[in-house]
Amino acid sequence: MLRSIISYGLAMGAVYALIAVTYNVMHSVSRVFSFTAGLLGMLGGVFGALFIGRMGLPVLVGMVATLGCCAIIGVITEFVAVRPVLRSLDQHLYVLSTLALMLLFQQFTAIEWSTEPQPFPALVDLTVAGIDQRFWMPVLALAATVGGLELLYRHSVVGRAFLAIAEDNFAARALGLPERNLRIASYALAGAIGGLAGFTGGRIMLAFFANVSPLNFYGFVPVALGGIGNNRGAVVGGLALGLFQQAANFLVGGVFASIAVYGVFIVILLLAPEGLLRAPVTRRV
Amino acid sequence: MTALTRRGVISGSLGIGAANLLARRASAAAEPIRFGWLTALTGPNSAAGIGFNRAVTYTAAKINAAGGINGRQIEIITRDTQGDPAKAVNAAVEMASSVKVHAVFGPTNSGESLATTPILARFNVPSLQVVQLDNLIDPVKYPNAFRFAPSNTQWDDANRHYCLDILKAKKIAVLGDNTGYGTTAVGAAVAGFKKAGAEVVYAEVIDANAPDVSPNLLHARGVAADVVVVWTSSTGLNARLMNARGQIGWDVPFSGHPSMGSGDVARLLEKPDYWKNTYVVGYRSCSFDADGKFPSRTQAFIDEVTGKIELSDTTLYWIVSASDAVHLVADAVAKTGSSDASAIIGHWNQLSKWPGVFGDISFTATQHNGYPTEEIVMSLANSQRQGAFTLAPGYA
Repeated sequence: MLRSIISYGLAMGAVYALIAVTYNVMHSVSRVFSFTAGLLGMLGGVFGALFIGRMGLPVLVGMVATLGCCAIIGVITEFVAVRPVLRSLDQHLYVLSTLALMLLFQQFTAIEWSTEPQPFPALVDLTVAGIDQRFWMPVLALAATVGGLELLYRHSVVGRAFLAIAEDNFAARALGLPERNLRIASYALAGAIGGLAGFTGGRIMLAFFANVSPLNFYGFVPVALGGIGNNRGAVVGGLALGLFQQAANFLVGGVFASIAVYGVFIVILLLAPEGLLRAPVTRRV
Repeated sequence: MTALTRRGVISGSLGIGAANLLARRASAAAEPIRFGWLTALTGPNSAAGIGFNRAVTYTAAKINAAGGINGRQIEIITRDTQGDPAKAVNAAVEMASSVKVHAVFGPTNSGESLATTPILARFNVPSLQVVQLDNLIDPVKYPNAFRFAPSNTQWDDANRHYCLDILKAKKIAVLGDNTGYGTTAVGAAVAGFKKAGAEVVYAEVIDANAPDVSPNLLHARGVAADVVVVWTSSTGLNARLMNARGQIGWDVPFSGHPSMGSGDVARLLEKPDYWKNTYVVGYRSCSFDADGKFPSRTQAFIDEVTGKIELSDTTLYWIVSASDAVHLVADAVAKTGSSDASAIIGHWNQLSKWPGVFGDISFTATQHNGYPTEEIVMSLANSQRQGAFTLAPGYA
């Protein structure tokens, strides 16, 4: 039981955390919570199964193609669903525009791919310390992603430009930073990260068009728990969510596990609205 | 010039009236029998509709080529509902009020049927159903609606009979998904087993997208279930349950929903062996016996349609039942000489052991579930070929 809780819990937690990071990367440059985050996760699984499982491409080529396709979807999101509503962010029109784009891609996937879950191929024949690839791969992907983002943001000029836009995009633009191009790049990066979540979690979640909704919701929980824009918080929140969810599966079972997750989520939000790992925002008066 | 007399006027009027009546009858006799056909032919839920449709069009064309029914051709009026209840409602209204069909077959999924059944009842259009939902058939509320396929209750009865009387199981675990169907089916199955005196040791409704179901199977093993009854149409959940059963090394039989025998499940299994010891609801008419043979009526049908209807990528049950649907309407018109709703409904209300390929159908004025429960059997999940399955062990 403990082995199952830890293996499945950490693996699914890592997938949720990667989706949370996807939310954060998109939000940081646009202040938009894009519901295409779960879509990108779903497409990561579908593209992976298509390129590697059906078309027989080598794993590395299939992975690059998958992340590339998801990056393009990320860019399309920026052009179609985000850019037109940026001027009226206070009206929250992005909720509708990103939801509509998500549904459009999801239905297209259902029709062109399948309405039934499809198998996701084994990527490498490697068991680490008796742990199957399906469990360690999402965790490795999460570590690589968060580590890579830290390096990018802290130790590169482009990364600092991202942070500048995240802090104050008007000031960044006044300084001559190419805000629009950086936003497009950020959405491409978010697309690739979302795709990586579905790709590395594909053996567990399968290549299934209906994965969008659970990924959207469970991916948002770590954002709320860890604090908006806080990737480290997303990692902690995601892994904690995965472990708690799997433990609840054993302890209370079935649909009650979901109720337990939702219940704890609401309680934490009531106690710490800014997230567990984010300093409370002081309001200037 | 002839004088206009009262007798002459009356005689003339009667003559014109009689001529009109005869002309109208002649016109009605010559008009085609309009067979309304509602199903999803495109979109996510179209696999069944495409299968049904092959047999509907084939059977109507065959009857028409042989001269039709009393000289009347069958006209199939098809509307693609795309799996969308709103589209199905629009199509049902159009069929009943504007096209004025003589009978309707479909829709073929539960969400659409729930929406269209009251509408077709309001217009009193004779309606043939294949959807399993129990509450779709109610001779008081919907006197026009007849089901010539099994209901959920009949599936449940057949499965329970197999578990208790053939597998000799004493302790039962029941699992389903968290959809409306799954929740209802689990509740009904638990009640049925308890009523039959069996011990239900574990019952659970599982999220259809749950990535790991080993907790559920470990729980069922912990309470020493003799059989796990599975009621879900989610192929992903079915495959995960079978994979989890294999991974924990538990050789308990699975018994239940036909979707466990789907090729989509097979593709998701980590090992082909994980599909063994699994029994799914099937039909005697669409099952191979231990010698690999169909019942004679089914074999004759297959001999007839081979090369004319593609059977390799569909389910035989869809084909034979759709063919029966066209014949049920055609026979009603042939026997009564009328395509009026009252004639067709009246004929069906007295139908006794009508020999369809799918099964012998019987209706009465108070029982519109016409499929015989004894025709429902369990089949080996991993035995599908030509859209049919092999009977599960234990049947004569």
